[in-house]
Amino acid sequence: MKFLRPFFFLRSLLAKYMLIILIAMSITQVAYFVIALFALEITKTGQDESLNEVNQESNVEERWHDEAKHIQNFTDETITQHFESWKQRYPKAAMFWISEDGTLRSKVNVQEQLPSTWTPSFTTKFIKERYGGNPFTVIAFVGEDETNGFIVLEIPRDVFNPPLRNIYEQYGSLVFLGVIVIVLFFICISFLFFRGIRKRLLKLQDAMEIRDVDGLPIEIHVKKKDEIGQLEQTFNHMVVELRESKHRERKEEQLRRQLIANLSHDLRTPLTKIRAQAYSISKENLSEEGKQAIQAMETSIVNIDGLIENLMSYTLLMASTYIFEPKEINVVRFAREQMTTWYPVFEKEGFDIDIELQAFDDNMWLIDPLWLGRVFDNIFQNVLRHANSGKYLGVKTESTAHYDAFIIKDYGKGMKNESNAKGAGIGLSIVDLMVKGMELEWDITSSESGTIIKIKKQKDLSK
Amino acid sequence: MFRILYIEDEKEIGQWVTRDLTERGYEVTWLESGEELEKYIVAADIVVLDVMLPGLDGFSIGKRIKKENKELPILMLSARTAVEDKIEGLNFADDYLTKPFHPDELVARLEVLLRRYQKNDDVLELQHLKIHTKEMRVINRQTNDEIQLTGKQFYLLQFFIRHLNQILTKEQLYEGVWGESYIEGDKTLMVHIRYLREKIEINPAKPMIIETIRGIGYRVKL
Repeated sequence: MKFLRPFFFLRSLLAKYMLIILIAMSITQVAYFVIALFALEITKTGQDESLNEVNQESNVEERWHDEAKHIQNFTDETITQHFESWKQRYPKAAMFWISEDGTLRSKVNVQEQLPSTWTPSFTTKFIKERYGGNPFTVIAFVGEDETNGFIVLEIPRDVFNPPLRNIYEQYGSLVFLGVIVIVLFFICISFLFFRGIRKRLLKLQDAMEIRDVDGLPIEIHVKKKDEIGQLEQTFNHMVVELRESKHRERKEEQLRRQLIANLSHDLRTPLTKIRAQAYSISKENLSEEGKQAIQAMETSIVNIDGLIENLMSYTLLMASTYIFEPKEINVVRFAREQMTTWYPVFEKEGFDIDIELQAFDDNMWLIDPLWLGRVFDNIFQNVLRHANSGKYLGVKTESTAHYDAFIIKDYGKGMKNESNAKGAGIGLSIVDLMVKGMELEWDITSSESGTIIKIKKQKDLSK
Repeated sequence: MFRILYIEDEKEIGQWVTRDLTERGYEVTWLESGEELEKYIVAADIVVLDVMLPGLDGFSIGKRIKKENKELPILMLSARTAVEDKIEGLNFADDYLTKPFHPDELVARLEVLLRRYQKNDDVLELQHLKIHTKEMRVINRQTNDEIQLTGKQFYLLQFFIRHLNQILTKEQLYEGVWGESYIEGDKTLMVHIRYLREKIEINPAKPMIIETIRGIGYRVKL
């Protein structure tokens, strides 16, 4: 993996993100640069003019004075001609001529209201107002002396503005809009980038939650080789490991089961041989004592058989390797079918058998039939062995508001008096483990006059 | 006389079972492995098979036998008592008996299988009835009259005979005879059992042949 790192970096999300940031930064930089260049260029080109800015204004003033001095023949025509020539140079300029006696003679491009006769006080006011104001105003006497009145030139100040300011005033909103567009563009890019990541993460989360039939997660198809891709790969790796470990565990379980099964087989084979011999002996002509001994042997063989079975089941249950396959079954029917095999056994022993199995509200219980069968078997086995004196077996159903239950009742001498009932312990331990394993409950009430065992399923009150 | 093919590798157990079954009137061929099975299989009425065998195990042998002849009943006789083993065995075999077993139980189970496969053309004597199990003819021994049964009564009695001595629940009977799943509260079965009793029982109010097992179901006991 390590030698792939440099290549990997190029495909990583980090690289992409950095690329976006870099582009964002460089675009601002480039934009600054371009604007700066642009501004520089404009100021450069404008500089010649704008450097002359002051000069220009003073130039205009000087030229206005100069040309006014050299005007000959002070007629309306010549003055107007003079004005026209200036108007061509400065289209925005307004000009007028006030003669010696204060009359407004000719005017060009004048927008404002001017009095037709200029008094000295108005003239003074006019000069005062215009000094340093807007428009830029130049007043010059016509001709060599001051006897021919004066001509006034008015030029709006913005004509002399630096070019950049004009551009800003003209394109300012456009630039502002551009900036907003660029900012929005980057917000969009970032949004798409993170949304892409989020989408993939959510997809990954969903994919991680999918389970195979065996309850294990399924491997994910890795599309990209970035960080998320790496995460997916790690996940896949984990799935493989999990599968392997599960497989190993199953194998171990199987081995264990195999071992216990073999052990039980190996124990039972000699037991069968003993029984064979005992049976053969029983066929001989035996004394009463001999017959009793054979009978005792028979009983012991059956007991040992039961104990081996219980020991095996208990070991498997404790190691949680006892196969558990719950399914929904009709338990009342199941219990009845269980009774068909046990009935003849109790009948043979001369038991009074009282069976009353009524349907529950909900007969379908989610249980492993083999387990429930085993629970019943162990309980009946105990009744047969340790409550034989009562000669009674009752199997009933009970429904209350809180639970449905099977009740198994005997009139034996109770659990405490079972002096020779040591085998009952493991049998009931198995009942306990299995009942709890199937999420059922059970309780046992035992007195000298009998034992009652209840196997209960709590009702789902929310239904 | 029934011919039993018995495969068991444990000599002591093999000798004992062979001797006992022979004493009871069966013809037993005992093999210690499944090697020469083909020679004897044709002549067998039933196969008793151990699981742990040298070479091919009992499960494989049993499956092979069933593949060739479905009509040959197989009883697995094994010291393997784990549920998985029983389930695997019962996938193909007809019965699974665990060691240590009592020879009486073995014989009882063999008889059930032989009857189920109708290898047995014995005439069953059930109280006052004589039943030819193959063609299911029912004869009243007291009068020597043949009792005529309708279709459903016939199948019902046949089902009882095939499961002789077994207690059968209402559900098992209904599903076995009608082939449909039993609906709680359905009276059809009870009605048919009443008709059947009227025909075959001496006193239908006190049935002797079809016994009612209170709380569980019915039984026909030999």
